[in-house]
Order: sequence, then structure tokens, then C-alpha cells
Amino acid sequence: MIPLAIDAEDIRVSLQVAGLATLICIVVGLPMAWLLARHQFRGRTLVEVVVTLPLLLPPTVVGYYLLRALGAGSPFGRFLEDELGIRIVFTWYGAALAAAIVSIPFLIRTSQSAFEAVDSELEGVAQTLGRSRIGVFRAITFPLAARGIAAGVALAFARAIGEFGATVVVAGNIPGRTRTLPISVYDAVQAGDIDRANLTALLLVGISVASLLVFSWSLLLVRR
Amino acid sequence: MAALSVDFEKRLGDFHLRPRFDADEELIVLLGPSGSGKSLTLRAIAGLLRPDAGRIELPSGAVFDSRLGLDVPPQARSVGYVVQDLALFPHLSVAENIAFGLHGRPKQEQRERVRELVELLGLEGLERRLPRETSGGQQQRVALGRALAARPRVLLLDEPFSALDAPIRNALRREVTRLRRQLGLLALFVTHDLQEAYALADRIAIYDGGSVLQCGPRAEVFRNPASVRVAHLLEARNIFEGRVVSKTEAYTEIETPWFRVRARAEGRLAPQARAAACVRPEHVILLRPDRPHTNQLDTTLDVELVDEVPTGNNHRLYLRVVQAGDSQCIIEADVPAHPYQVMGVASRRDWLVALTLEETVAIPMGDDLT
Repeated sequence: MIPLAIDAEDIRVSLQVAGLATLICIVVGLPMAWLLARHQFRGRTLVEVVVTLPLLLPPTVVGYYLLRALGAGSPFGRFLEDELGIRIVFTWYGAALAAAIVSIPFLIRTSQSAFEAVDSELEGVAQTLGRSRIGVFRAITFPLAARGIAAGVALAFARAIGEFGATVVVAGNIPGRTRTLPISVYDAVQAGDIDRANLTALLLVGISVASLLVFSWSLLLVRR
Repeated sequence: MAALSVDFEKRLGDFHLRPRFDADEELIVLLGPSGSGKSLTLRAIAGLLRPDAGRIELPSGAVFDSRLGLDVPPQARSVGYVVQDLALFPHLSVAENIAFGLHGRPKQEQRERVRELVELLGLEGLERRLPRETSGGQQQRVALGRALAARPRVLLLDEPFSALDAPIRNALRREVTRLRRQLGLLALFVTHDLQEAYALADRIAIYDGGSVLQCGPRAEVFRNPASVRVAHLLEARNIFEGRVVSKTEAYTEIETPWFRVRARAEGRLAPQARAAACVRPEHVILLRPDRPHTNQLDTTLDVELVDEVPTGNNHRLYLRVVQAGDSQCIIEADVPAHPYQVMGVASRRDWLVALTLEETVAIPMGDDLT
């Protein structure tokens, strides 16, 4: 019998981190994508650069700045910890935040194109038919962009679950608390635990492939 | 007071849109070249384009007034808007598209209204299809039904038939006219097609470069173009610029570089005023030279047939005025197929044309730049 070399805790932590990260991406990224797709405003280019930057920055750099901003060494970090009792660094919340920042460009970019692909004439006509702007978004814009958005969510989730550099800097490598699957691979290699490294890596490949399938399936339906 | 009154300004880059016209519960055609601001006017009436200044009044009351700071949002204007590319909602069925404007009303009422419109527009059996599963003509009807569902008092139609084949287009034109009368709607119809304008309009507004050059009942606008530019846009073709040489109770006589012509006495033209004489091709009378015209007040001219183009029901003849000599002066005349045959137009080149007093109009040229 093959020993179950994967630590189930790593899977749980990974799902928690990637799940929360994806949620943050959706809540922050979707309005941002809609804004970028439908509105001209001052500082638009700056916003586009800022939301795209995490794609190009080494994740460790993102993690480092997060650590500096939220750690006990910063006024904001101290405020969070002393006044509100919230600790971000070296917790799975911190890992999720780091993963979210690294993943959000995928969601914003994909959703923005999805929103842009919706003919704004449809929205105008829908308005003349008695719907408010929110009503139009719910009845027209969102359903028509939904598949593109789903693709963006799948990509963001895949990126979040594979995130290593930013999370490890912010949250460290605490088994059962902040050790995600990618960190576990690194950890296993360091410890010479080849079985765990093999199986965990294989699981990550599986998750990535599955996410990619969801992604292309969504996009395929969009082009229909 | 008119049911619809439009008078606003909007600057878009170099383009200055400043339409001004009014209409009652009738079909008003906005006619003009592409890019003259017709569609933008509809967008402004629908509330999708915000004017810089001015006032827009619908039968239900003012919807925009810059001085009062009034700008009713599109969803509260109760305007049915059919855009050029139709913009049917691709993810909703035919029935759902039609019912879109009935949102929030009781389901039963929605169902009945949709059934009513489906019947009215001949869309039976297509209710569950998606727009892309229907033909071009059917999509037109769906767009029309969707715009009419909530019973708006104003219907805006932006070249809705331009993408269709001629037979379907004609059928839909008749349908629009019938529906409009039946529902007592005020309809604005945008087109750059003169035939379509003529076939549909009760009233017509001539657009050019963002402004309305003339607005009035169709027959009046065609009969009395306010300027040479309007006459050109209405394809009057025979427009001869000159000067008024005499004016009597019965006629205004205009001297052009090529000939003298008597026009209807209507108008405020003083002797010596610059003016153009204008006769539409369908009103030019073609005569055999051996059978002279009898009415002394009409203008008759010897002409030579230099070219002709069959246009389906008509033959468009290009006739060179003989007395104009080398300075080319061409009169265009439309001759229907039957007289064309009977008179043997193709068999000879020398003809006589009569420009009747009744159909010749004197257009003031005052400060007209064209």
C-alpha cells in the first residue's frame, strides 16, 4: 500500500487561502473591471498599470511590501493588531491577501474584456425600456459577460492556488496554518521527503489542468 | 402647441449638432446625408445623449431643459427606441425580448401583452427562439414589438430597415405606417433614403451638417424647398440659378444663364433678387417637337437627348438645352415605361420639354452659400 504522503492539512489550507483570495478578487476586481470597461476617468491609465503590475513583479516583492505594510513594524500593522486584534502576517488571511493581489490581474483583465464585449447599445436600449442602471447591469451586462467572468474567476483561482512567493513571505511556512500545497512541495524537497513532493506536485498539476479546462470551457461558450 | 418639440445644441469634437423642429402625432422623417446628426438627435430624445443646452419636449411633457436643470433619465421617458442594428438581447428569447419593457408588471399582464404583440406583428411560433434563430425581417418585428410593448407615446426608428431586402422593407414600411395610425403614435423615422422618406413621411425634417434646414408637411417641403441645398438633398436635380426679372400676380420670371423660365408666383421674391428655378424630373413634360405645348405660361425648351438611364419603372433622360449652346445645360426628366414606349423616345434625339408653371418653383438664394 502506498502511504498517503500528502498532508490533508495542506489541502485544507490551500483551499481556504485560494477560496478567500478568489473572493477578494471578485469583490474588488469585478467593479474595477466594469469601471475600466465602461468609463473614461482621470487616472485611468494609472489604475490599469497598478492592477496589471502584480503580473510582472516577482511575487516575493509583492509579499515583501505587504509584510512591510501590514507587519508589526508598520503603524498600520500595529493599529490592526493593538486596536482591532487582527493579525495578518503569518496567518492564512495574510496568505489569502497576498495570493489575491497576485491573482487579481487575471480576473480584472479577463472580466474587463468580457464587459467590453457587451455592446453598449444593448444597455442603452435596455435603459429606454424602463430599467435603471443597476437593473440593466443585472438583466443585460452581467448575463452576457458571465462566461468571460467565469473564465477570469477560474484563472484567478488557479493562480491563487499555485501562489508561492508572496504567500511564503507574508505568511511563512507553518504546517496546518499557512503551509499551502506549493509551499509544501518546497518544504518536502528541502526535507528530502520525495513521496510528499511527488504527490503534492502531481495534485497541483491536476488542479491547474482542471482550472484550465473550466477556463477554456467558459471561453468556448462565450464565442458560441 | 406641438406634441414634440426639439431645440438643442450639442458639440461633439468639430461637429456642432443643433437640430430644431416640431411635430404632432404623426410620422416625421428625419432625412439627410450620413453624419448629419439624425441618429444623434434620436439618442438625445431617448436620453442617451445629453445636450449641452436647449429643450426637448415630448407629448408627456418636457424631458430635457438646460435652463431648468431638467434631464429625465432614459428609463423614465417612455420612448420606444429601435436602433439601427436593432440591439436585440441575444441571451433572451423573442418573447422575453418583447416583454423586457414590461418588467415589474403582473406576469399575467406581461403574457397577454406579449401574445398581443406577437399576433400584431405576425411572430406566432417564434416566441421561444433566440433572436439569432430568426430571419432579418422577423428580428425587425421583434425590435418593433419590444419598443411598443410598454405603450410608449413616441417611437424612435433609426434606419430600421436599411439592412433588409426591398420586398421585406416595403412590407415593413406599410406595417409601420399602419401600426402608427392604429396606435396614434408620434413616430420619428431616420433615413438617408429619399424613396423611403417619401413613402413614409407625414412630415419631414431636412438635416444637413447638424442642423435642420427645413421642416414641414411632406408635400409642402417637396413643393417648396426653402433653399437650393434643400432642393439638392431632395434630389430635385433641375436647379437653375439666376435672378428674378419680373414678377406678376400669375408668375415669377427667372433669368438663368441659359434660358428664361416662369415659376409659381408664391414666395417673397423681389425683382432682381437672386433665385433658382427648380423642377423635379418627374414633373418635366417631354413633347414631340411637331406637337407644341399649348399653355402659354409654361416654359418650353428645345432639347437634345444625350443620355438615358433606365431606373426600373422610369427612364431618366438627360436632355441638353439647345439654346444654351456650348455651355452645357442638362435637364433631367423621368418618363414612365409606358409613355416611353408609346412616344418612341429611343427613336429620336430632338425633343421639346415643357416646364409647367405649376411645378416650377422659385427658390430664394439670398444668403444661401451653395
